[in-house]
Amino acid sequence: MLCIALLAAGQGNPLPPDKAFRFSARMLDAQTIEARFAIADGYYLYRDKVHFAVEPASAGLSVPPLPEGKVKEDQFFGKVATYRGDVVVTLALKDTKPGQQVVIAAESQGCADIGLCYPPTVQRVTLALPEASIIQNTPSVGAKKPWFN
Amino acid sequence: MTRPFRNGVILAVAAVIALTAGAWWAIRDTAPKQAEALFALSLPDTSGTPQSLGQWRGKVLVVNFWATWCEPCREEMPEFVRAQQELGPRGLQFVGIAVDQADKVGRFAQELHLNYPALIGGYDAMEVSQGLGNRLAALPFTIVVDRQGRVAETHLGPLKPNQLRAILSDLL
Repeated sequence: MLCIALLAAGQGNPLPPDKAFRFSARMLDAQTIEARFAIADGYYLYRDKVHFAVEPASAGLSVPPLPEGKVKEDQFFGKVATYRGDVVVTLALKDTKPGQQVVIAAESQGCADIGLCYPPTVQRVTLALPEASIIQNTPSVGAKKPWFN
Repeated sequence: MTRPFRNGVILAVAAVIALTAGAWWAIRDTAPKQAEALFALSLPDTSGTPQSLGQWRGKVLVVNFWATWCEPCREEMPEFVRAQQELGPRGLQFVGIAVDQADKVGRFAQELHLNYPALIGGYDAMEVSQGLGNRLAALPFTIVVDRQGRVAETHLGPLKPNQLRAILSDLL
């Protein structure tokens, strides 16, 4: 078992997308959320494939313009911006109730420098809005989503 | 039965079970897989016409899963076009399964002068690729099937031209 774990950790094995593009979110205050992608070395995300949503939608998510990223010229798509390292986006909720639970769904799509790309992936984090300064943070990997958008 | 002896027996039985399971996995992994799941797929081409992969049974079939949003996929495709042009008359058939939108695939196929079918795949197609070893459902993923319908090779990531030619020369 240890051998398998060591082999799996080897550089030759690409990471699953939720490990390559690890998503987390935390409440900064009752209406503000810090959303973060921690992108593993050797991997990158496409800026225009990063999308956020809140469940229930009635909580009213406000997403600011995303960080610029590094722009490169793509032969087919023209200018394409990508992210490496950490990407932090401050999200706002417009209509919430104290103690309410919300789920932040973060969709992303990216590639690995070794020459692999992943289909779009949705990761979800459940947050409990503060009632008596208690904040929960339970990440989970998202379910199926269309293979293209 | 004393406790140490009983524990020894349990360990021995566990070891036999583990070895048997290991051997089974080894055999299972090295046995040639049939490509029936691939042949059973019917996917639309860029004009929306369904195309059954079974129509290419008997050829040396190279099925390449790709997408326009996958740069490494696009980079390896000119070599596939060259190989199709050169080795098609000897019974080689490339088929691209794009995990993408038909209009983008059509536009890219035109730009590249793609000389083999570009089909549009979704979950069904990706599940087949996962069943044939594409554990992460990543792209590009290429499956080479011999004339007998056996999976001769699967490859995750871009294929180097010399790798591709070496695989094909054994089968054509």
